Amino acid sequence: MSGGRPGGILGGYVPGNSWLHRTPLWVKFLAVLIAGAASFLLLDWRVSAVSLAAVLLAWLSAGLGLRRLAGSTRVVVPLLAVLFAFQWWQQGPATAARIVLNLLLCFVAAGVLTATVPLQDLLDAVARLASPFRRFGADPERFALAIAIMVRSVPVLAGAFYEVGDAARARGLERSVRARTLPVVLSTVAYARRTGDALAARGLGDPDEDSSL
Amino acid sequence: MSRIELAGARVTVPVEADSGPREKVVLDGVDVVLTESRVAVIGANGSGKSTLLRLLNGLVEPSSGTVRIDGLDTSRETRAVRQRVGFVFTDPLSQLVMPTGREDVELSLRRRHPNRGERAAAAQEVLGRFGLQRLADQSVYELSGGERQLMALAAVLAVDPSILVLDEPSTLLDLRNRELLRRTLATLPQQVIFSTHDLELALDAERVLVVEAGRIAFDGDPTEAVRFYRDLCGAGLGPL
Ligand SMILES: Nc1ncnc2c1ncn2[C@@H]1O[C@H](COP(=O)(O)OP(=O)(O)OP(=O)(O)O)[C@@H](O)[C@H]1O
Ligand SMILES: [Mg+2]
Repeated sequence: MSGGRPGGILGGYVPGNSWLHRTPLWVKFLAVLIAGAASFLLLDWRVSAVSLAAVLLAWLSAGLGLRRLAGSTRVVVPLLAVLFAFQWWQQGPATAARIVLNLLLCFVAAGVLTATVPLQDLLDAVARLASPFRRFGADPERFALAIAIMVRSVPVLAGAFYEVGDAARARGLERSVRARTLPVVLSTVAYARRTGDALAARGLGDPDEDSSL
Repeated sequence: MSRIELAGARVTVPVEADSGPREKVVLDGVDVVLTESRVAVIGANGSGKSTLLRLLNGLVEPSSGTVRIDGLDTSRETRAVRQRVGFVFTDPLSQLVMPTGREDVELSLRRRHPNRGERAAAAQEVLGRFGLQRLADQSVYELSGGERQLMALAAVLAVDPSILVLDEPSTLLDLRNRELLRRTLATLPQQVIFSTHDLELALDAERVLVVEAGRIAFDGDPTEAVRFYRDLCGAGLGPL
């Protein structure tokens, strides 16, 4: 079906002029950072639920639309459902809810960032933010590249998940967990390899020093 | 033109056999010097064409022997080699990383032009060179296979490599896009090395290598190489 078309929450920039679009990038960065930290720090599922509600409200009030939200959650919901069941069994319902809500929170917060900031700006900002680490031998451009890859990989991998589902259905194997998951794992590995090779071939993965600038 | 020099290049990969792990020889003792501006590599599926091409920019390292590009060793001076050797994969989607072509070309140019404005101007120039401005801001998923292939080519050529390596560039293209690719390749100033199953495309080259079971079975004039390859394929089939 989708053939790996980009979509979903990390599906790229949505042109617009909403208050969220106009909010300075560093504020949004901070928000995502806080949302990320929240997954580790918030130990009450109700706090997570309220935070998630707030981010969702921001999303909708910026006119980013229910459709995009629904399209992207469709991608993560099956995974989160499995995680939820597992955590419930291991740690009980409150912990399960907290973990799943926090993951969703990070996901939507990251989505706000990629939907309201053009990718180029995002990469420049990440490279700039990471530049102090240069003196420890880190290459800021690599951070930027990592973000680019992440933004691109989520929809591709989600596409693989659904494509394999279709292929399994076509063969009457929709009930077979193996027929559904093994090809996803294999195509994910193949995808990661291809991407790695392609980046290496373009010299994008190589470190900065002694570059021919 | 650059000088591509393979000396006793051998490539092995580990494989699992019934008797335990073992080495499989993918390329064996390849000795060849390429200085022509257009070189094609043909041969059967699994003969080692892609492996041979991947040696040229260090994506694959020889387990023995050496591969040198203008004297630079691909295993030890990989970075410098990759600045000289651009590589285009069969499937452009595996190499276009950004949502649109323009962003992808700009990604290639980030290191060369840290300044945003200069980068945008340089990207515009590259896109213009390939007549791609009109398509530059569309999602790469919305482009046709040929347009994507050109976009991937533009992103690779943005950093001015002196050698361009393409692994089966026309395999996914229809006739019209293949012609477009052919014409584009013909105009490039770069030294171009490509593999293909498209014998007509191979005839465009100045020199053709026929790879068979990990060895160069024929090396020389395109017409003769294609004839050699046809005979080779026919011989295995026997009478119908
Ligand atoms: N990383 C690897 N691991 C295992 N086997 C490999 C690996 N790379 C190549 N091979 C094997 O080496 C042989 C040559 O592969 P290669 O991809 O170079 O062939 P090719 O001539 O490009 O074929 P095709 O026309 O199908 O693209 C094949 O038998 C392949 O299975
Ligand atoms: Mg191949």
